[in-house]
Amino acid sequence: MSRKTTLFERMDHSTGVKAVESVGRAAMERASLGGRALLLFIDTIYQLPKTARSLPQIFRQIEICGIGSLFVLALIAFLTGMIMALQTGSELLKFGAQNNLGAIIGATFVREFGPMWAAIIMLARVGAAMAAELGTMAVNEEVDALRVMNINPVRFLVLPRMLALIVSMPLLTVIADYVGMFGGALVASYVYGSPFDQFLDSARGILGNLDFYSGLAKSMVFGAIIATIACDRGLHTTDGAEGVGRSTNQTVVASVICVLIANLMMTGFVQQILKPVFE
Amino acid sequence: MNQMTRDQMEAAAPLAAVPADQKSLIEIRDLYKSFGRRHILRGINLDVIRGETLVILGGSGSGKTTLLRHLMGMLRPDEGSIAVHFADSTMRLDRASHAELDAYRDRLGVIFQGAALLNSMTVLENVGLPLVEVRRLPPQVVYEKVIVALQKVYLPAGEILHLKPAALSGGMRKRVGIARAIVQEPELILYDEPTTGLDPVTVSGVNELTLDLQKRLGVTSVVITHDIHAAFIIADRIAMLYKGRIIAIGPKDEFRAHPNPVVQQLLTGSTQGPLTEAFLQGQAT
Ligand SMILES: Nc1ncnc2c1ncn2[C@@H]1O[C@H](COP(=O)(O)OP(=O)(O)OP(=O)(O)O)[C@@H](O)[C@H]1O
Ligand SMILES: [Mg+2]
Repeated sequence: MSRKTTLFERMDHSTGVKAVESVGRAAMERASLGGRALLLFIDTIYQLPKTARSLPQIFRQIEICGIGSLFVLALIAFLTGMIMALQTGSELLKFGAQNNLGAIIGATFVREFGPMWAAIIMLARVGAAMAAELGTMAVNEEVDALRVMNINPVRFLVLPRMLALIVSMPLLTVIADYVGMFGGALVASYVYGSPFDQFLDSARGILGNLDFYSGLAKSMVFGAIIATIACDRGLHTTDGAEGVGRSTNQTVVASVICVLIANLMMTGFVQQILKPVFE
Repeated sequence: MNQMTRDQMEAAAPLAAVPADQKSLIEIRDLYKSFGRRHILRGINLDVIRGETLVILGGSGSGKTTLLRHLMGMLRPDEGSIAVHFADSTMRLDRASHAELDAYRDRLGVIFQGAALLNSMTVLENVGLPLVEVRRLPPQVVYEKVIVALQKVYLPAGEILHLKPAALSGGMRKRVGIARAIVQEPELILYDEPTTGLDPVTVSGVNELTLDLQKRLGVTSVVITHDIHAAFIIADRIAMLYKGRIIAIGPKDEFRAHPNPVVQQLLTGSTQGPLTEAFLQGQAT
């Protein structure tokens, strides 16, 4: 006679305690990592007065991260703009409301897709590369060498990368906004017969300054988050090449999660608090 | 039987007195350091005499790098003190403020094991880095000082000035690392395993260079290594780090004749003896 055991029965007391313990420990580790990253961010802010000295490095980083990501980002925005227009357009057509496509695509891109796509591309391409670069430097004792020469790694390595990302993100976002809307407008006019002008008017009708600037502000926060996480993981890399791979992976995963959480909070703030005040 | 208990070993290796006519630059007293429950340094007592080259020998994982990182001001001891007596001031590394540490590091040059050059920068930028970033000297002055430093380590400045580290051989990278360490004319130079991972000819070159710099610059050097051959070439005095303590120290001739069985095993390279037992017990911890 076989007896079926429930999950609870199989889990004796000590497993339960262990499970709680390990979840607790993982949470504590996350929290302390987050705290460490936050301290790095604050430390970077303290280095801001020394920005002028880092200008050449900042421009170099902007070139690396901003310009290099432009094409991929534009392509992705263009494709998603068209896909979205195709999907929503077919529904709108049923109500003869295809002339409102501009409002829908415009609002989605300016408020959400522009900053989000820019963040995704940046964290995957640039954040990961930053973590790998700084991780390799840490493993090769280059960061220690800087410290011993009295060169502050936060000023020398983190500040230029952080500023480059914060400056590049809104620029990339604007481009994603416009290219995405352009893709949408193409579909609207060629597939659903709603002319270009109509698309633009409809977009303009719904989008205000608040949408535009809050989107850019979001993208700057995303940039700061990505740079902070990438630099923190990079600088604290140990264990050779294996460690570099680990830091790179962790950077991508942690940045996606943190960017989404920050997005949720900022969107809530804009829609629930700022919007009623401004309108 | 050449087995000794730890207490006997310590009794056999008292702190070598610093000769009366010489002054110590660095005084390490009762230094303890643990990482978690692993006790790496367990009561280090060590003097570095001004102007000497002191080589600290020790097996893998014996805590050599950890000791050196204390001397860089990158680690603080759990217990004990590290005093540095410069001609004009005395500093306590174990409780130095940020400003004191900065002042100390201005007089310090460190040669890292893998040279630790920045890969995105040329040789000129690497060697000139502290001059540009810390002392903010104008480019022309930096250029001249970099050329001088490269000449001191016998590198063809004209050929390699604009190369990136990846384009250099291991021996050249090491020399560039040394040039970067001496470009600020330090009073104290720390070497972490200067000859590890290099071919025998390059090793001799680096050894000769170390000796040569010693004579010409008159600096104090601390070298950590497990290369016994190199130690006897470059050292004035040799110390041995074992199980977290300095078990033997002395001028290199005295060191060669040191009665401690651990030292003798290291010198003869025998597989029989206390070092092997420690290894079999799971490393010298
Ligand atoms: N930051 C740290 N955290 C935890 N353990 C450490 C840390 N630094 C060193 N250790 C441990 O301390 C021990 C001594 O390390 P150390 O690098 O000083 O040895 P070493 O004598 O330089 O060895 P090697 O010849 O292999 O370079 C090692 O077992 C190492 O794992
Ligand atoms: Mg070491």
